[in-house]
Amino acid sequence: MRRWLLAALLLLLPLTARAQEEEPLVAALSRNEIEVTTGFTGASLVVFGSTAAPIGPGGDEVLVVARGPTRAVVVRRKVPVAGVVWVNGPSARFAQVPGYYVIAGTRPAWQILPEEQRLAHALGLDSLPLTSTGARSPGFRAALLDLEKQSGLWLEHTEPVEIAGSRLFHVRLPLPAAVPTGDYRVEVYLVRSRRIVARQELAFRVDRMGAADRIATVAQAQPLLYGLACIAFAAFAGWLGSVLFRRG
Amino acid sequence: MQVYLPIAEMSVDALLLMGLGFGVGWLSGLFGVGGGFLLTPLLILIGIPSPVAVASGANQTLGASVSGLIAQWRRGNVDAKMGTVLLAGGVVGSFAGVQLFALLRRVGQVDLAVSLFYVVVLGTVGALMVLESVRAILRRRTAVRRKLHEHTWAHGLPMKMRFRKSRLYISVIPPFLVGFGIGVLSAVMGVGGGFMLVPAMIYLLGMPTSVVIGTSLFQVVFVAANVTLLQAWQLGTVDILLTLLLLAGGVAGAQFGAAMGTRLRGEETRALLGLLVLSVALSLLWGLLKPPGNLYSAGPAF
Repeated sequence: MRRWLLAALLLLLPLTARAQEEEPLVAALSRNEIEVTTGFTGASLVVFGSTAAPIGPGGDEVLVVARGPTRAVVVRRKVPVAGVVWVNGPSARFAQVPGYYVIAGTRPAWQILPEEQRLAHALGLDSLPLTSTGARSPGFRAALLDLEKQSGLWLEHTEPVEIAGSRLFHVRLPLPAAVPTGDYRVEVYLVRSRRIVARQELAFRVDRMGAADRIATVAQAQPLLYGLACIAFAAFAGWLGSVLFRRG
Repeated sequence: MQVYLPIAEMSVDALLLMGLGFGVGWLSGLFGVGGGFLLTPLLILIGIPSPVAVASGANQTLGASVSGLIAQWRRGNVDAKMGTVLLAGGVVGSFAGVQLFALLRRVGQVDLAVSLFYVVVLGTVGALMVLESVRAILRRRTAVRRKLHEHTWAHGLPMKMRFRKSRLYISVIPPFLVGFGIGVLSAVMGVGGGFMLVPAMIYLLGMPTSVVIGTSLFQVVFVAANVTLLQAWQLGTVDILLTLLLLAGGVAGAQFGAAMGTRLRGEETRALLGLLVLSVALSLLWGLLKPPGNLYSAGPAF
């Protein structure tokens, strides 16, 4: 991966020389398609690019944010009933929660951008616009952040954006096995003296492929047919087993 | 070897699933039950979401019971008429059960309901089995003869029907209600219900032991098929890959278990099964009573 990355960066070098006049920031992704097959155990993807002005200590800063498809999430709090049995009690419903959110920077976002800028672009877990209906307690929002961080699908500054030769940068985005399928958006920001001076948007897709895709598609589009097929498959497997092992 | 389950949307070790299937199949072959009551909690334990575990557990039970039914049918141990009445109740019951399950899922109490059902049903059945078999083991020497036929209030009900294979002339209402109850439980718990049906047929309906296992398998196959269909159709939670991996280990395990089962005595087998059922109930009860590590849980909204 590392050697491949260096080659990609070298290819980019002549581009950066030209970009010096026109583009303050150029970025790209190592892959645009992540294929989830039945053997999928997670993958990773590299965001890399270069800047016109030097980056790193004393210079500009780079922020990378990746967002997955959103869905509605319900957070429930357990309460003891009669002091013994733990039961799901009050709940809060969050609409539009990203199924994947990773932010990485040459320095953490809260060190290089003022709060209103972070809020405006939803940079950092604390700045995500998570509005809820239902229970009002702020504990639910904190719990959602905790649970998503535990699942490995939300990461905040776990790995810094690495700088090579003061103008090249790259960062690895880990995609665990539980990564949701759909369209992903990656934003790269160039920050100079607490202001965003350039921004580039990239995209990639996570798709089920092969058998995993066919099973999920049929289960969703033809649920009745899928149910009948499940019955037939299970009955056949049971019959096959009784035949195979009867004389064995 | 990691395998990505397309409906559960997670990656699980295939060998672990086949091993689980083998172990549960071995026990079910030994005791003559489907084994769903062990499998579903184990699936939940390894992190499969409860709706997927329940639906796929029912699907696996279907496959595991088919081979048993074929063998019993050849020996003429299936009372198809009684099975059909039980089944009619079972189909209505499993339909009601899936609706109940969908409602629980909307309210967010699936985990609680599944655990509670398990604790209550397994606890009761397990305790009764242990008591009954211990009594039978003690009675072995004194050998008191039971009355062949006892008349109870159930014999006064209308709509009587003659069940030749079971040598019974009773109303269809009690078997229908038994079937209905098992149907509801199998939809919520993801089990075929064999471990509840067998004692119910012996003690509530008074059927002879020889046709009980075959007839119970008859009912279980069709109820599990109905639950699979309804869960797949209405909730989309049956993971066929999960089912097939479990079955691959399960059908092999069942044969080894059945071979070993012939060497154990009936009362001892029932006592062991009762203890197993009780311990599953107790471990689930502990899960309900112990203070949770994290008070909050998140799930998809419906």
